[in-house]
Amino acid sequence: MTAVFSGIKVSAFLAWKSIQRGSRGTLALTIMIIALIFVNLVFLPSIISGVVVTFDAQSIDFDVGNLVIEPREGSRYIDDADSLQKKVEQIPGITGTSPRITAGATFFYRGRNAASTLYGITPEDERSVTRIAEYMTAGEFLSNGDTDSIIIGATLAGMEGEEEGGLPSLQGVEVGDSVEVAYPNGLARTYRVKGIFETQSFGVDTAAFVTTREMSEVLGLDNQASAILVKTAVNGREEEYKREILSYGVQEDVLTFREKSGGFVEQAIQSFNIINAISTLVSLIIAIVVVFIVIFINTVNRRRQIGILKAIGIDQQIIINSYVLQVLFITAVGALAGIGLNAAVTTYLTAYPLVFPGGPVYPDVEASAILRSIASLFAVSVVAGYIPAWRIAREDILTAIRG
Amino acid sequence: MIVAENLTRVYTMGRVEVRALAGVSLEVAKGEFVGIMGASGSGKSTLLHILGLLDRPTSGRVTIDGTDVLALSDHRRTLFRLNRLGYVFQDYALIGELTALENVYLTSLVRGASKTEYLERSTDILRRVGLGDRMDHRQSELSGGEQQRVAIARALVNNPSILLADEPCANLDSQTSKSILDLFARLNEELDQTIVMVSHEDWHKEYFCRIVTLRDGLIGEMVECRKEPHPGGGA
Ligand SMILES: Nc1ncnc2c1ncn2[C@@H]1O[C@H](COP(=O)(O)OP(=O)(O)OP(=O)(O)O)[C@@H](O)[C@H]1O
Ligand SMILES: [Mg+2]
Repeated sequence: MTAVFSGIKVSAFLAWKSIQRGSRGTLALTIMIIALIFVNLVFLPSIISGVVVTFDAQSIDFDVGNLVIEPREGSRYIDDADSLQKKVEQIPGITGTSPRITAGATFFYRGRNAASTLYGITPEDERSVTRIAEYMTAGEFLSNGDTDSIIIGATLAGMEGEEEGGLPSLQGVEVGDSVEVAYPNGLARTYRVKGIFETQSFGVDTAAFVTTREMSEVLGLDNQASAILVKTAVNGREEEYKREILSYGVQEDVLTFREKSGGFVEQAIQSFNIINAISTLVSLIIAIVVVFIVIFINTVNRRRQIGILKAIGIDQQIIINSYVLQVLFITAVGALAGIGLNAAVTTYLTAYPLVFPGGPVYPDVEASAILRSIASLFAVSVVAGYIPAWRIAREDILTAIRG
Repeated sequence: MIVAENLTRVYTMGRVEVRALAGVSLEVAKGEFVGIMGASGSGKSTLLHILGLLDRPTSGRVTIDGTDVLALSDHRRTLFRLNRLGYVFQDYALIGELTALENVYLTSLVRGASKTEYLERSTDILRRVGLGDRMDHRQSELSGGEQQRVAIARALVNNPSILLADEPCANLDSQTSKSILDLFARLNEELDQTIVMVSHEDWHKEYFCRIVTLRDGLIGEMVECRKEPHPGGGA
């Protein structure tokens, strides 16, 4: 036991002297490469995770809430939407519900037209679920009593003279303008534009909203809804709430926002994970090669010294361990520098986020990703450092000393 | 007691075979101070390497205090060198990354000595070889003779029961050589240390109990010198 301990002490002594008195330049370069590899290991997962966070937040905040209740198989509408809404709102942890009527509509404006989605909402209810009301770029959100007003997404409203690539656009609608809406049942209405919103979520920004009251009247509906959006107090527990809602005897279909997105996000995550696995593999291979080369050169240059150490009675394991300790030191400092570098990159990208179709993406650095990267870096470099040290330390003493 | 029986060491270099040792048998009693002499290339270093467990003979046997040292595992041989032997290399073999002091105390550190203990012992031995003011110098900052004395101090620091020294005075002036030999003689007397030393100098003979002369890998002659302690020792 004491032999093991004094052995480690000697390894540490030799490792430290070697770091202290070896080449500063090589040391700094190696540490920098390890730091960059670390950043590479952490960066991509943090962006992927950031994309997922953005997609999720967009879905929850603007599109569907945490959960959506939809008409059961075979029905177009949820009947008696009021009482279902009341029933769901009783459930502890549910902080809002918003019934919506959905219809495909054609919008006409100054000789231009665009087909998109029109929603009927109860503005007060909608505010309790989505945050669209906070994202008005012009004008105001709807009020409960509005019957001749419409609010339009920024993409659908469009810009003067600009052709939106494939997306519905009326090219320059402004607050106060009149827009004619043709409903699927053949009726048409003209509304005054009360507000324009921009959420960065393209499914939302291409849509328009009128009040449920107005839309029910046009479509001849009574207390019916195409969907009821449900907001929960905390995100991430949608599956639990879904079970809870079903246990209250709700007969309609209940979908989490993920299920509602039809596996699109799951698919994206899967593809991202493949990219990430490849990138991780490449980074780790680079780490192996770099550490291997550094320790290989180090030990080859110190062949004579290693022979002398053995000759004066220092066990080869102590010598090998001294190289492993050097590698641990280099990796530890490299990882620390990497954490610093990554923090700098993250800070920059938080201030100037990457813009994706779903909105701005902030790097989401998960502690588990950092720990995993540190662990894999250490594992890889210890192996890569051990092998060359072991090869040289096994050499015959006099051969090594003669160099 | 060191017993070497019929040692041969053959180096094969391609087609050429070099018989560095051609059958050397030698016994060194505990506390003996043996000088090994002979022309350059006669096999002195080769013999010392084998006695110092740094090399294995092509054939023959070596026992030290009854232990068949050739049968030991590499790990045991390393421990044996650490705990029982002191070795002064012909080319000093210092660790360039370490200072003189660190070179000397390294093996004490490995043996688990406390810091005060190994610092005290290594500074003391460095002073005794006349390097009290060179302790923090590294190899590149020391003269050849100074490096040689660091190598001597390193071999002596743990008071090994056997000291093997390969021309330890080759780079020293006669004054310094004499003080080193006096130190060896004193350790030989006081601690009953066994010393086997390779030398070229005739005047060293007065320190040796016995002189073994090698000639082309064989023992040419063996001369008993003195029975009495050397005047330099014990004092
Ligand atoms: N590694 C080696 N490979 C081949 N031949 C060797 C090797 N080491 C030593 N020899 C040969 O073995 C013989 C004995 O060498 P050794 O070093 O023992 O001589 P030495 O008596 O110590 O000489 P010196 O007084 O010059 O130090 C020499 O002829 C030398 O060339
Ligand atoms: Mg020699």
